[in-house]
Amino acid sequence: MADYDAIVIGAGNGGLAAAATLAGAGASVCVLERHNIPGGCATSFCRGRFEFEVALHQLSGMGTEGNPGPLRFTMANLGVLERVEFIESNDLYRIQIPDRIDITLKTDRKQVVDELSGRFPEEREAIANFFDMLYAYFQELVKAFFLKDPDASPERYPLIYRYSMRSTKDVMDSYFRSPLLKSVITIYWSYLGLPPSRLMFMDFAITLYSYLEYKSYHVKGGSQSISNALADIIVEKGQEIRFNCGVKRILVRDGRAAGVITETGEEISAGCVISNASKITTYVDLIDREHLPGDFFGHLRSSAIGVSALSLYMGLDCPPSEAGITQPTNFISPTEDYERAYECAKTVEVSEDSGLLTCYNYMDPSFSPEGTTIATFVTLKYGEPWMQIKPEEYHEIKFRCGEQMMEILDRVYPGVRGRIEEFEIATPLTHLRYLGHPNGSVYGFDQHPWESSFFTQQKAPIPGLFITGAWAGMGGFQPTYQSGEKVARLALKNIKG
Amino acid sequence: MALDLHKMQNYDRLLEQMNEFRERGTDYRSLRGRMSEVMDRLHPKRLRLEVAEIIQETPSAKTFRLVAPDRSLPPFLPGQYITVYTEVQSVATARAYSLSSAPADSGHYDITVRRLAGGLVSGRMLDRWRVGDTIEASSPSGNFYHNRIIHDRSVVYLAGGSGITPFMSMIRQEATRPAGMNVCLLYGSNSDGDIIFHDELNRLAEGNARFRYVPVVEKPGAGYRGKTGYLTADLIREVLGDVEGRTFFLCGPGAMYDFCIRQLEALGVPRRKIRREMFGALPDITRHRDWPAEVNPAAEFSVQIKGKDTIKAKAGDSLLTSLEKNGLKVPSLCRSGECSYCRVKLLSGRVFQPKESLVRSSDRRFGYIHSCMSYPLTDLEILL
Repeated sequence: MADYDAIVIGAGNGGLAAAATLAGAGASVCVLERHNIPGGCATSFCRGRFEFEVALHQLSGMGTEGNPGPLRFTMANLGVLERVEFIESNDLYRIQIPDRIDITLKTDRKQVVDELSGRFPEEREAIANFFDMLYAYFQELVKAFFLKDPDASPERYPLIYRYSMRSTKDVMDSYFRSPLLKSVITIYWSYLGLPPSRLMFMDFAITLYSYLEYKSYHVKGGSQSISNALADIIVEKGQEIRFNCGVKRILVRDGRAAGVITETGEEISAGCVISNASKITTYVDLIDREHLPGDFFGHLRSSAIGVSALSLYMGLDCPPSEAGITQPTNFISPTEDYERAYECAKTVEVSEDSGLLTCYNYMDPSFSPEGTTIATFVTLKYGEPWMQIKPEEYHEIKFRCGEQMMEILDRVYPGVRGRIEEFEIATPLTHLRYLGHPNGSVYGFDQHPWESSFFTQQKAPIPGLFITGAWAGMGGFQPTYQSGEKVARLALKNIKG
Repeated sequence: MALDLHKMQNYDRLLEQMNEFRERGTDYRSLRGRMSEVMDRLHPKRLRLEVAEIIQETPSAKTFRLVAPDRSLPPFLPGQYITVYTEVQSVATARAYSLSSAPADSGHYDITVRRLAGGLVSGRMLDRWRVGDTIEASSPSGNFYHNRIIHDRSVVYLAGGSGITPFMSMIRQEATRPAGMNVCLLYGSNSDGDIIFHDELNRLAEGNARFRYVPVVEKPGAGYRGKTGYLTADLIREVLGDVEGRTFFLCGPGAMYDFCIRQLEALGVPRRKIRREMFGALPDITRHRDWPAEVNPAAEFSVQIKGKDTIKAKAGDSLLTSLEKNGLKVPSLCRSGECSYCRVKLLSGRVFQPKESLVRSSDRRFGYIHSCMSYPLTDLEILL
């Protein structure tokens, strides 16, 4: 008899959602987490009188009670909805490309169409057509995928067939002429980690549509609240979470995942193992090679480790307006050419990188003490060049890059620098340290089209083993919570069967 | 649902691209162990260090020079600390010590320890540690350092007693730089015999326009001719003239913060220009200004650890200390309420938490406490 029905490695969004789902269904679960708090990316940290949100900027997919999005159902199923306060925001984003454009959009299709048409009157018709297509396209996705239409033919779903697999750039080029207009519409590429030329239109379209239709949300107390709520749910159901407990090996017996050995050498047996560690860690460091099919790593070569981030966490000693910040979500891009901005992510130094300045006080005025502001400025950076840095050079480079980011911010928000009371820089190596993800990746693998289920089977090659989280699909909050819930349902069949 | 993939525009091209990627992609087997290796160079979980040299600084303070016999030492920022894991009377415990050496002195870490009245750990280190001993420590950590992006290039260090140690690292590091910052150190000590690093500080300040050293002694001995008393607003103004354009760094015993921060506020120094090091809980928590006076620190409560034993814990001992005394292993690092390593869930009962303990808002809501800065006020039930 195994010690548990399931062991979950890692208390990130996927791991916690999986464990809470299993616990809710009456299975016995043990979650093993290396760190001392639950959440992975969904955590916070304190400095002085400020508590900084690590990773959540805009929670997608919630929707209102009247028009619920997919994540609201997941949060309800998990039991999180009644324990955490979700805060609705009607702000999509402000985007500033210095000397080129400064425009603010709402989570409202009509406002977006009107605002864009006002700025780009010569493309008024194209703008209307594009958003008509976006909405019609999503309706097709719902019917074909969510309602599982058995007849998914090109005749019934012309937009899916025409657009899904083309690049975002290609589709934008087919609608619009102005490069600036395209840049304003496609800035969410940075939430997905690949530039428009490489981003599958389906992934981009779902993201943009989700925010427009289901609005953007934040959480009272930050994403740590969701993590703590999930941990509570698991413990209340009599199940276990062990912090400061890393895993050294996944045990495979008779061709099935059968448990783990912890870093301290303890062996724990289970009917199945759900790994919220990265796919690379799981298959390369935790499982002995002999248990994997011969061509396994050959197939995995098409997957590339995705972007990490360079983040400045800032607590200001004045209200946001005094520092010149007027919106919660502010994209700043030194260049309108996102292909160039993306190339910058491959270097250590910051030059023409696109960045995101999030000011949480506009979502939740109580997010920091009265009269203060929390603002986070983040750019995407691949971790690989950071991995090459000599330890003795690390601090110098970290502060130099932080300074380079501040220079970008100075151009658009000159009032911020002089009001900073607390300040922290997180580099790709910081993310590696706390997440354990290869190269500090925050979104898992690069979201190349072939990572989608059209091309890649997500089923693990060992029975009883399941992978959840950013590495098993899309990165980000909504996808990883949903991934955890989904994987737990698969595991339950395994446990019961 | 069965889409006819080959009829989707661009599908075949994507298949080709996928294969191109597969040909030039990474064989991830080559990354085995790589992530922990990179992390271990910067932030190893534990360091095995050897005492290479012991320097008697004052009658009550020694510097322990620590080297790593089997690896290179991780880098640190002047002002950061390491946590020393040790055993006192067969109780496993830990203490955080700021590094007093500069990062430029590569090859060793110095920690400078002063005997603390009733301090079990400092006493043991000072009396028992010998050259050649091996100890276990954390890698450097902490948020008390000069950040060139936001802090002024003119800095004032306010040190009290053994709170000089992080400043020593900063000052020594500055001394290696050709064009550094303007530093003024106001260093308060109990008596002139207690001033740690006095000779070196005098030497560094001599003929150096960028570094001023101002010792301030509370109970001066005969023949002492320097500043006396406390680090008051008047004294600070007298030494600095103008406080504008300077960032202040504070490190010393708990009572010093309350006092000095009031002085700086009186001088009109904005909060963002005052940095303070966490300096551990008060040795006697009942002296904390918020301590509930009606509670007897010797009062003993029972702490039930869910699924495990029940232990006894005194109101005047931190929960972490009581857990350690009972042989329970709880991870700890800063022991000042800041790092949250020792976070536990309080299932029932009440604890006193000094407000310096930086507990996340959702942790407060969901009942988590930092055991290093939590003192039982009733019987407790906790989850480790």
